[in-house]
Amino acid sequence: MQSRYGTIVALLAALLLAAAASTMGSYPIYLLSLAMINVIAAIGLNLLTGNSGQISLCHSSFIAIGAYGSTLLTARYGVPFWAAIPFGALLAALMGALLGAPASRLRGIYLALATLGFLQIVQIAIEEFANVTGGVRGLTVPKAAVGGVRMSEYARFLIVLGCCMLAIWTARNLLASRVGRELNAVRLSPHAAQALGVSVHRVKLAAFALSAAYAGVAGGLQAIVVGFIDPVEFGVSAALRQITFIVVGGMGSVSGSVIGAAVLSAMPEALRPVKEYSDVIYTLMLLGFLIFVPHGLVTVWYVIARRMRRHVPTAPAEARR
Amino acid sequence: MTLTLALQLAIAGISVGSIYALVALAIVMPFKSSGVLNFGQGEIVTLGAYIALILTQLALPYPVVIASVLLLGAAGGVVIERVLIRPIVKAPEFTLVIATFAIGLLIKGVISIRFGDSPNTIDGPFGTEPIMAAGLRFNPTSLWIFVCTALVTIGVILFLRSTRLGKAMRAVSVNPEAARLMGIRVETVYRWSWAISTAIGALAGLLVAPLIGINPEIGQLILRGLLAAVIGGFTSIPGALVGGLAVGLIETFSGVLIGSTFKNLVPFILLMVLLVFRPQGLFGAAEIKRV
Amino acid sequence: MTDRLTVERLSVRFGGLVAVRDVSLRVAPGEIRGLIGPNGAGKTTLINAITGTVPIAGGRVLLDGLSVSGLPAHAISRRGIGRTFQHVEPFAELSVLDNVLVGVGRHSHVPLAHAAFATPLAHRREDQAAREALAVLERFDLLAYRHTVAAELPFAVLKRMDLARALAARPALLLMDEPTSGMSESEADRAIAAACALAESEKITLLVIEHNMRVMMALAHSVTVMQNGGVIAEGKPSEIQRNRTVIDAYLGDEAIDAVG
Repeated sequence: MQSRYGTIVALLAALLLAAAASTMGSYPIYLLSLAMINVIAAIGLNLLTGNSGQISLCHSSFIAIGAYGSTLLTARYGVPFWAAIPFGALLAALMGALLGAPASRLRGIYLALATLGFLQIVQIAIEEFANVTGGVRGLTVPKAAVGGVRMSEYARFLIVLGCCMLAIWTARNLLASRVGRELNAVRLSPHAAQALGVSVHRVKLAAFALSAAYAGVAGGLQAIVVGFIDPVEFGVSAALRQITFIVVGGMGSVSGSVIGAAVLSAMPEALRPVKEYSDVIYTLMLLGFLIFVPHGLVTVWYVIARRMRRHVPTAPAEARR
Repeated sequence: MTLTLALQLAIAGISVGSIYALVALAIVMPFKSSGVLNFGQGEIVTLGAYIALILTQLALPYPVVIASVLLLGAAGGVVIERVLIRPIVKAPEFTLVIATFAIGLLIKGVISIRFGDSPNTIDGPFGTEPIMAAGLRFNPTSLWIFVCTALVTIGVILFLRSTRLGKAMRAVSVNPEAARLMGIRVETVYRWSWAISTAIGALAGLLVAPLIGINPEIGQLILRGLLAAVIGGFTSIPGALVGGLAVGLIETFSGVLIGSTFKNLVPFILLMVLLVFRPQGLFGAAEIKRV
Repeated sequence: MTDRLTVERLSVRFGGLVAVRDVSLRVAPGEIRGLIGPNGAGKTTLINAITGTVPIAGGRVLLDGLSVSGLPAHAISRRGIGRTFQHVEPFAELSVLDNVLVGVGRHSHVPLAHAAFATPLAHRREDQAAREALAVLERFDLLAYRHTVAAELPFAVLKRMDLARALAARPALLLMDEPTSGMSESEADRAIAAACALAESEKITLLVIEHNMRVMMALAHSVTVMQNGGVIAEGKPSEIQRNRTVIDAYLGDEAIDAVG
């Protein structure tokens, strides 16, 4: 299903990255880890918004659920991180399905409002149930350990790298399979999809759960990398930043998620001298792309790649857009 | 709960509800005519509050401040519509939602840079001495807010019903293409509906500032304003008023009856329930679709 | 033998407008039924009602004797009713192959977990689905376009794709809405021939809305005529051609004569 060539290149790139990182200092490794965590989250959001066409303003809430869920399992019940993170992701997926059940029947501004409402509910719950979540002051995350031995920073980086590779691989597999076709189909023509036996509602609900799962993994990883959960990370600005990743990178493709998240994760570093302006710069970038490059950075490369994969020239026709 | 307490709460609810009603009104107007929901409206309110701050610090008299806030708010709306909305008005809904959100965050970011996060405040026009009537205590600022809201709502209703521009706005909201064919300049109508909506939003900022202070987070009001718009139905002006007052009352009463932990959750749970079961609210059209 | 399709006193209302009025018809298994009538007669609405796309105001629809009216559209499709669209409704950003694969997907299922981890089961089923889809594409002369994005194709080719996609789902009953509109005479003949061949070999019952009378008369075993939401005539094509009421329904004799 996937080109052998691409898989080998990706594996090589991952190995190179792992090797290079072993020579880097603490801070670059930290930044790279965060960038890869952003990639995982962006992949999830892109499946929901780019492929199944559902706008979501609460993606950061599922990251939060993953983060708090896995951290609490470790902190309170001693569950090791490698089990806690998947459980956190599962919890996020369940909440995604819970939201998706009603939300997938909504469209446009009503869907946006529903996701915004969910975001607020999660925010308020985090603040109000402070004895569990640490409230506005945040939650310290127990150090990730295997069999009582603390993981080194490099080991954590490798885990994040592994999860990122897994996320990219599973997402590409999904998009190349009937799952991906159905996700796109319900966005492109719900009528035709229904007529071919695809339940639009069920696919859209699954998209919510799936995107939440990726977000949950990202949240769990973020918790152990940062060592601390700050609820401010999960508000409206954060949600908009998630959306910026996929708008800038390109909606509907894994490559778009990777490019967008990678490029924009480099920005906070580049923007360090002008930190107060970072919010403004992010939003200007988002607006700029929305107006001028709506299909994202990946378009150029994607068009070329598609042309290369086609075995015959296009039939002569006017574009139907 | 004694009657006095209930009435007192109702007064508080109506006064805070009036602000929500203004925000809802500011949201509903451009949505009705151009189909664009301005998710950045909250920051317009913030902007209005800060404009009021600057003008008050310049020791300008209150009537001048009001007039300036309205004018500058309107001007801001015209600029936003021309520069940021016009290029994407034909874009998919996703783009419009995110863009208006982004505009709001942009405004908030700029305000934060200029003024920092430290809170400011201005005084209400009628002081803080409560007015006693019928055994009930009335906050003069709250009364003033309610009066302004009522006047604005009535003003908008009359405007839409009786003036040429208002009728044109109604025509465009029903069918822009037909309106264009009838000679109505649709772009002008859009520009005016945005100008009026941002003027109202800015006014809300001015009015609410004495009550809750001035800081970049005022924009959170939009959440209540959106709930009010959903309750009232996104296409109804009187609905915005009713919705706003309803949200205010619900908020005030649930604060007393439910306790602080869950009181903040109530509006959003209500929002979700409405979106699922009755998205058109009380007065909205059942099939709300942008053609 | 039970009818493949039974429509009993079906009515569809849009607000105050009655689009389909008390329509009854029965189509036997393996039959090819034509559905004709002037514009606005309610033919597409009838199809929409049968497929569950629009709500039914009265009456019911039975497939092989079992009621399907009131079920959600995708469930009706899964019972075995397929349709093609007047305006194709393509998955515009997907390739022709992917479009048809969605159709194949109705009977070929890859569970989500398997798809995500590219298991051997997933590979097997996807390969099988691809083989099926390619076979259908071949029948409709679409192999050359298989990797072309639907948005870049001319209308006539899209109509063939719509047909291929619907047939790939292996429906028991296929409702076709103007399948040859936008096609040249030879294209129309080829497409219809392919559809009929497939219908015969797979035992698919067809209900076809057509304005092209030449195609209709050659293709259909029998014809139902609608006007103003109701059925005004039914019978063999040659009878319908001579039916006075039908001729009056279309504007004058030209419409029928012109295609002899």
